[in-house]
Amino acid sequence: MKIKYVLGAAALSVALSAPVAAQTFNWRAHEGQTINLMLNNHPWSQAMRDLAAEFTAKTGIKTQIEIFNEEQFRARLTTLMQGKSADLDVYMSLTSREGAIFEKAGWYADLAPLIADKTMTMPDFNYEDFSASIRAASTFGTKIVALPINQEGPLFYWRKDIFEKCKVAEPKAIEDLPDTAKALKACDASMGVWAARGLRGAIPYSLTAFINNQGGSYATPDGKPGLSQPNTLKGLALYASLLKDYGPPGALNHTFTQVIELLGQGRIAMTHESSNEFANIMRFPGRAQDLGVKVLPPGRETKISKPVAIGWTVTMSPNSQRKPASWYFLQWATSREIQAKLIANGVAPPRASVFEGQEFNKWIAEMPIRKAWADSLIEIGKTGTGVYQSPTERVPEARDIIGTAVQEIVQGASPADAARKADEALAKLQ
Amino acid sequence: MRTSSKNVLAGYHWMAAPAMVFTIGMIGFPIGYAIWLSLSNVPPGGDPVFIGLENYARLVKDPEFWNALKLTVSLYAMSLSMQLVLGTWLGLLLGRSRAAQGLTRVILVSPFMLPPVVVGMMAIVILDPSFGIANWLLAQIGLPPGLWLSDPKTVLFTFAVLDTWQWTPFVALIVMGGYLSLPAEVFEAVELDGATSFQRFWHVTLPLLGPTLVTAAVLRSVDILRFFDVIYLTTQGGPGNSSTTLNILAYRRGFEFFDFGYASAIMITLSAVVFGSVLIFSKLRAAVAW
Repeated sequence: MKIKYVLGAAALSVALSAPVAAQTFNWRAHEGQTINLMLNNHPWSQAMRDLAAEFTAKTGIKTQIEIFNEEQFRARLTTLMQGKSADLDVYMSLTSREGAIFEKAGWYADLAPLIADKTMTMPDFNYEDFSASIRAASTFGTKIVALPINQEGPLFYWRKDIFEKCKVAEPKAIEDLPDTAKALKACDASMGVWAARGLRGAIPYSLTAFINNQGGSYATPDGKPGLSQPNTLKGLALYASLLKDYGPPGALNHTFTQVIELLGQGRIAMTHESSNEFANIMRFPGRAQDLGVKVLPPGRETKISKPVAIGWTVTMSPNSQRKPASWYFLQWATSREIQAKLIANGVAPPRASVFEGQEFNKWIAEMPIRKAWADSLIEIGKTGTGVYQSPTERVPEARDIIGTAVQEIVQGASPADAARKADEALAKLQ
Repeated sequence: MRTSSKNVLAGYHWMAAPAMVFTIGMIGFPIGYAIWLSLSNVPPGGDPVFIGLENYARLVKDPEFWNALKLTVSLYAMSLSMQLVLGTWLGLLLGRSRAAQGLTRVILVSPFMLPPVVVGMMAIVILDPSFGIANWLLAQIGLPPGLWLSDPKTVLFTFAVLDTWQWTPFVALIVMGGYLSLPAEVFEAVELDGATSFQRFWHVTLPLLGPTLVTAAVLRSVDILRFFDVIYLTTQGGPGNSSTTLNILAYRRGFEFFDFGYASAIMITLSAVVFGSVLIFSKLRAAVAW
């Protein structure tokens, strides 16, 4: 009787505990699988390549990582997705750029059911830890298409030592930039004064704050392309004139790689370049001591400061044959633990708990410039925008047209003519 | 009763069928598929929807296409003429000079052994006006700096020079081979007749080298019209559209703007230009044969 009672109790306990066990998340549930990742060349990707062994040790899932420069990455990704390749499991995506097109094409898997599934997602994942604006950029209706891996935007970097030597004041308003550049040039004609992106598709990222801060916008109030609006023209003209009058030779073929090289080598006094390149800039000798970094100054009259603020994401192909294992990678890579480790690589964490956490604050307290960089990121997180083209789903094409208008102004076209031509082309994309 | 060898061979023609099927499949399928795509609207993630000649009608009205075609033909004309002239000169020099054999020939071969990606990276390192050594060298000899690939006025010519640098030795080797195979007695006879060096070159060497030069022109035409990697690595078709050749335009339309049907129409048009140029040179080869 006693034995029966014990056996009965044991059976009941197994029966009761079975649903509990089924709901337990197990990191090793997909052990032995191999997932294929395709990543864009980015500080996050470089760090992932080093950290992937930790993922394998934790889960038993192996990774095959391919990293390409952005253009090659996009070309290969497009080919694989259009061909509905089952070989690709995980890839990076800039949802603010291609999100609408990719979502329409069905190139994103829906992560929402996975996040909600307690057997598939670690208990302390906490999706709400990502700020609402960052989550919104990767959400279409109820579908969550990607997880954020960083936050970034263009920042104003300037050489404090040169400003001091030349007795030139740090610009307080965006309208001060031409006079500042002029004074620096007069002080030392051999010194490069300014550099910024001049390659057409890359221009809108750093151009946007020039337009927004002066009260301009890429769209008219009724949603039409609005480069010809007076305040927008001011932004276009200012960006182009700085590049033309004070930019390095060959600026029209430059993107962030060349700009960062010029800044790092100490050959320019000012630039407006990605916060994401901070770690790369700091690798150049002396820059941690002589550089200043802040958000591009606001408009004098408008007081507006509205730069680009975006974030890269990591996502899963809907054609993947290894979705559970891929989801394990996604949640691991965007977990609090891993984001805290990525701080040392200069990857600005999109999780509030990491950004406000002890590790991050300890790291930024080590150098004044790190504190300035982090403060700038907090500011652009509050004031920035992820929209930097006129309204359209065909975002890459629109940004290309806007960049072409700037290139034309640099080459001598009048801002009004270049803007009118661009508005006509942009209207065709709507 | 003996079967002629011709009949025996005819009986085995079927054995070539697998090779024929394979070849047609490998060449015919991709071309056929590209033509099908060019006649379709291909939305990202979606299947092609047949739209007839709509993409080609759009092409005819697109100023970017005509600009790209003009740039492609200009680059082709500049590169091919420079390579043929310099290649002929270098080939004859190599053929006549004993000193320019062995190691010199190996060195000459090296540029066209380089992958286009390497040439593109070299162009960035050498020609970038801010970082490159070209302007530094010019400054050392008192010459003003150039903008090279950053100026819409010079970008295409700079690409032509880059391609000429890489491929002139290839033309030179073909010309040298052709020259060394020419009958020596013709040259001896001309020499006995007292012809000057220029007369010998213009009236004898050049006509005799005609078929060789046409062969070199055909090989280079196909390559130059497909010139892509170096442009993509260095300027991506810019500044503005000043180096957006048909290849670059098609790539941008297809892979950057997800307009696959239209990109295919551009590529089919470019392929037609390539086939057309080969056809013209084939006719020319028959005309210069001796």
